[in-house]
Amino acid sequence: MNGGCQRETTAQSDWEQWLARHAPGLLLYARQQARCEADAQDLVQEAVVESWRRQADGAPPPLGFVFATIRRRAVDLARSEDRRAGRETVAMRETPACWFDSAVEERERSHLIAEAMRNLPELYREVITLKVWGGLTFREIAKALEIPANTAASRYRYALVELRKRMPETIA
Amino acid sequence: MNENEQELFEAELRRISPARPPADLMARLMAAGPPDMMRHEAERPVVPGLRAWWLVRLGWLVPAAAVVIAALGVWRVRLSPARVSWQTRAAAVAPALKADDVRIGRELISEFDAVARLPSGEPFRFRCCQWMDEVIVGDKARGIVIEQRTPRVEVVPVRFETY
Repeated sequence: MNGGCQRETTAQSDWEQWLARHAPGLLLYARQQARCEADAQDLVQEAVVESWRRQADGAPPPLGFVFATIRRRAVDLARSEDRRAGRETVAMRETPACWFDSAVEERERSHLIAEAMRNLPELYREVITLKVWGGLTFREIAKALEIPANTAASRYRYALVELRKRMPETIA
Repeated sequence: MNENEQELFEAELRRISPARPPADLMARLMAAGPPDMMRHEAERPVVPGLRAWWLVRLGWLVPAAAVVIAALGVWRVRLSPARVSWQTRAAAVAPALKADDVRIGRELISEFDAVARLPSGEPFRFRCCQWMDEVIVGDKARGIVIEQRTPRVEVVPVRFETY
């Protein structure tokens, strides 16, 4: 009985640590994929729970797998929303959530990077997000986006160049 | 952008971190997990730690061993004449058998799932079924019945849909 309790406590602790470490990156990616904040949060929750449930041994799921699930779910959601009149969702897109941490000393930089990221084509934006803030390797990115690893690497380089062009000189 | 510039720019980007999720989302996530762990623990019989580890790590050996055992069984039946049943021997020495009662069937003995993990970390499920194939050939006029039962294991990989 004690063993069972201990296992549950350990699993809960692993779960909390994993979430604390990865939830910000996952939510950032979901916010870029979803049309509104509520959808983004739901995407994260559903993807995390689904990915973890598929782990046979209860261990934390591979991060790339969770990002891929968010992407897949976002595509499904967008398809279903496209079938409905989209006025409400468009209205919600006009007030986007803050993508980055807004500590006082980094606020200006965060704002500029977020703006530049918003103006990037989606193909570039997602590869930068997965690499820089998701911490994925090119191989994992390739798997998540269903593209060859070489394409992921070259797309990342182009994306950085494009992002830099859109940044003020002081940061770029 | 050369490699050095790229690294500097990446470092610049990494200096900012993604916004922390709202407290209510974190609370929802914390409450949601770890998914199924509790339920599985409750459903599973309590096993000692070593056995649980064995089941998790070497679970894929179960279907593999079943296949090997079934293959050995079939090989022995086919290649070892000494082990043919007395009905078969009787039929072999008799003049032409007139089979007027032939039955072919199969019986499901057991079925179970096994989960293995690919090198990429992706779980891979196997559906295993143990069958008993049965062939009965009878010659009613001469009162001869030849019956052969062969165990067979069917292992079907079931890939989880991930993308």
